[in-house]
Amino acid sequence: MMDKAMLPDEIKPVMESGIPAIVVTCSADGIPNATIISRVYYVDKTHIALSFQFFNKTIRNVRENPQACVAVSDLAANIKWILDVQYDHSETEGPIFDEMDMQIEAIASATGMAGIFRLRAADIYCVKSFKKLSFTSASSRE
Amino acid sequence: MTPEGVKDNDDLVERLAQKSAEVNVLRRIALDINSTLDLDQIYDIVLRTMDKFFGFHHSIILLLEHVDRLRVVASHGYKDQALGGTVAVGTGVIGTVAKRRRLMRVNNLRSQRAYFATIRSQMEEAGRTGELGQIVPLPGLADADSQIAIPLVIKDRLIGVFSVESREPKPFSEHDETLISIVASQAASAIQNALLYRAAEERRKELAEAHEGLKQLNETLEDRVRARTKELEQANRDLRETQAQLVQSSKMASIGMLAAGVAHEINTPIGAIHSNADVERRAVDVIRGILQDPALVKKLGHQPRLDRAFKIFEDVNRITLEATERVTRIIQSLKSFARLDQAELELVDLHEGLESTLTLIGHLMKDRIKVIKNYGKLPKVQCYASQINQVFANVLANAVQAIEETGSITITTYQDGSYVLIQVADTGVGIRTEHLDRIFDPGFTTKGVRVGIGLGLSITYRVIENHHGSIHVQSEPGKGTIFTIRLPIAR
Repeated sequence: MMDKAMLPDEIKPVMESGIPAIVVTCSADGIPNATIISRVYYVDKTHIALSFQFFNKTIRNVRENPQACVAVSDLAANIKWILDVQYDHSETEGPIFDEMDMQIEAIASATGMAGIFRLRAADIYCVKSFKKLSFTSASSRE
Repeated sequence: MTPEGVKDNDDLVERLAQKSAEVNVLRRIALDINSTLDLDQIYDIVLRTMDKFFGFHHSIILLLEHVDRLRVVASHGYKDQALGGTVAVGTGVIGTVAKRRRLMRVNNLRSQRAYFATIRSQMEEAGRTGELGQIVPLPGLADADSQIAIPLVIKDRLIGVFSVESREPKPFSEHDETLISIVASQAASAIQNALLYRAAEERRKELAEAHEGLKQLNETLEDRVRARTKELEQANRDLRETQAQLVQSSKMASIGMLAAGVAHEINTPIGAIHSNADVERRAVDVIRGILQDPALVKKLGHQPRLDRAFKIFEDVNRITLEATERVTRIIQSLKSFARLDQAELELVDLHEGLESTLTLIGHLMKDRIKVIKNYGKLPKVQCYASQINQVFANVLANAVQAIEETGSITITTYQDGSYVLIQVADTGVGIRTEHLDRIFDPGFTTKGVRVGIGLGLSITYRVIENHHGSIHVQSEPGKGTIFTIRLPIAR
């Protein structure tokens, strides 16, 4: 049975307002990949969602190897959150999908990118553990 | 058990106080915006309260203008207020909220836009510009970082969107979302009520205007009916005049034909009578000559009876001759009056017409009315002789009828430039002042139904008008009346 971590409430605004987050995945043959994404969605205390818009390396990797690592930053507080997550399933409808789809549509439609950014699915990840790192005390990290 | 996030009692008290203050503000907003039906006042209350009590400095209200477009109707905190700006349904945060009719809270707009812009640049560098659409300018803050947009929905019908923005790094919280949602919900109801009231007022004004228009139309209609009635009355009068003229013309034609027939039939026997009387007179002269032979005078002696017989014969013979001459003149006047053979415009001696008329109405005057003729030198006048004779007959007949016992009729004629004037003055009863304006109206008469039908002077007026002339009347009750006819010499 997979271990689950309970996310604190304080991470919610960080996810909502955080600068583009970093997602690190690894292929089945052990080749890592790091990429920037625009948003990490808070689903509940044990789950987050990432948008699946393009069939890129990240998506291919998590389909092969569900383990991933997500970093979101709170620059105002000089804090970085590192989340160990595991791909659980994809949703193509429902409130999470609708919320993500709506936000993507809102921004894409105003920036002339409506034909580019289109949510294929909301990929739901289970949070296995997380770390809260402070930049000012970077030496101590965790 | 301590509520989530509460540090201690002081914190709890502080939070409760804050909640209580918020509830009061929300209640106050609800009361204020529901106490007015003025849209601008509602907008003002909502937007100012959001700023003053909740610290939302930039807010905007848009109403659905068409099915696919929203228009900014009120805003607060913007440099140019963005009023009148539009947003297509489905574009940007506000347009997407309108399209999906769902609240949206976005807290990292700048970074998300930056991310999208980066991708866009990469695509442009890769030459994939064909896949890109236009960047749409939207009302509101260009550099907003957080935004909450809420659809204003009444009974499943979208009426607009309420949006709050911030460029500060502090994101909108779920609590902010709740506060704004409550205000938006109250605002939606108030705006809808005000819109309905405004629509009802506009409808009422339209109806009032329509009513006023209808009223004016009715008034116009009444005027038109009055005018039309007047026209019809005039047409009726014209018709009666025309009918009277036709009847009169017909009568004149009958008289003319009768006169011609009578003249033809009477002229021969009258001629024979006149001729015989002349022969008789000459024969008697011969007999008288014979009887004056001295031998016969001596033989017969003085015969007083014979002298009386001759005297009687001479008188009778003179009377016969005068009578036959008078009959001849009457017949000639009849023919002259009717002028059947002269129905065209012609040069006419008006004195001849006056004389014919006087001859024909002579029996009406007999010895009780003296006719004084002040005839001037008149040129011949271009006119319809029979019609002008009819005028003379009407005017003279009126003059005769106005003189109850004895009196006089003075006929004066003279030339005045290119006109001739015929004045008929009688010493009759005169015309009452209140009747003077109406004597030329068709049907107006003071003679009683058995005497006249009131068309004589009306026809006279029309005939003279047709001849481009004029007729005037002066009268003084008890003293008499003067009709003055003015006719152009040439048409």
